[in-house]
Amino acid sequence: MAAFDVRWVERWQEQVNKDAVLKTIGRHFTANILFEFGSHPYVVSFVDGSMAKVAHSIGPETTFTLALRAPAETWAKFVQPIPPPMYNDLIALSHPLHGKLRVEGDTKLMWQNLRALTWALDLMRNVKE
Amino acid sequence: MAKIEPITGRYIYVPYEGQEYRVFYEEAGQGIPLICLHTAGTDSREWRHQLCDPDINRNFRVIALDLPRHGKSIPPTGWWKDEYKLTAKFYSEFVMAFARELELDRPVIMGSSMGGNVCLHLALNFADEVRALIPVEACDYSPGWWLDWLHHPHIHGGEACATATYGLMAPQSPEEYRRETWWYYAQGGPGIFKGDLYFYSVDHDFRSLVGKISGKVPMYFMTGVYDFACTPEMAETTAKKIKGAEHITMEEIGHFPMCENPVVFKKYLMPVLAKIVRK
Repeated sequence: MAAFDVRWVERWQEQVNKDAVLKTIGRHFTANILFEFGSHPYVVSFVDGSMAKVAHSIGPETTFTLALRAPAETWAKFVQPIPPPMYNDLIALSHPLHGKLRVEGDTKLMWQNLRALTWALDLMRNVKE
Repeated sequence: MAKIEPITGRYIYVPYEGQEYRVFYEEAGQGIPLICLHTAGTDSREWRHQLCDPDINRNFRVIALDLPRHGKSIPPTGWWKDEYKLTAKFYSEFVMAFARELELDRPVIMGSSMGGNVCLHLALNFADEVRALIPVEACDYSPGWWLDWLHHPHIHGGEACATATYGLMAPQSPEEYRRETWWYYAQGGPGIFKGDLYFYSVDHDFRSLVGKISGKVPMYFMTGVYDFACTPEMAETTAKKIKGAEHITMEEIGHFPMCENPVVFKKYLMPVLAKIVRK
């Protein structure tokens, strides 16, 4: 299972920041998003489609607009090269029929940036352990 | 020699409840009429592979229409004054009005997603006018999709609708075809996908009616394992409530079998079509 530790997130950040497509489709994607991989929460600062900063220590002064929360086991299925049914996509995970991932906060921001956000999430599958 | 597909596209005027609808449809082949219904917010292009497949159009006159407000079918006059909400009544009756106008003899009707859900209404209300029904990715209740975010001035409707449905397709399906389906979704008119989903998730609550279907019309439910809007379990549960209905689970495919992976879909579809030909 993916570790979802600091090193893993840094590798994901590398994937995002070198991705050519995201530079186009994420040109206006700027947001602070909390990713909760079970007991590992991070706040990722996307700026113009790049992952400008990752906050590893979440404290009382950490701010974010949107939160995506799921157990590590759920994310582990999502990041598989061929994810199993119901685990392959953000909307699949969060659909009320399945409820495998909780979306909290400014959900409008998620819908406004859905294309860039889901592209960035898919790049998690390129992270080598 | 030019490479030209066997599809012919035409416009037909369909009268329905005092309005005359200019409807685009495309067709290929000859034999048993087979009407193909597109998914929410898209158009007949989803069926382009089946229209062109000689194994299919040898025995079937394959016809795919654009519902009013979709593809090349313009909306009815006055559309700019109302919020669009597709209803089960309009959808089912309009499909049959189209079939009558084309003078089709008891067509087979195959539809995916909302086009599959409407097959249940056709089975209940038009059993004498249809030969068989193929509800693809369909069940008696598919909640959770009628969302304001899909038609909102702060959100790019095309990109949001297309991306929201992208994950309904299987990762094994060719990316080229998945992106093509994304493109169809991105081209829908403003509010049309959401308006269709009013039918899909709200007006089509068939749970109290499904048991009233007579079973007179053969029904073949087909569901891809990656469909998270209508899972194989949901479709199979529905099929079990209908006398004589069959359910087929399709591996390594999702909510848009006909256009996300026509090769895999064909593997499952051909035995169904063969049964219909034999009957």
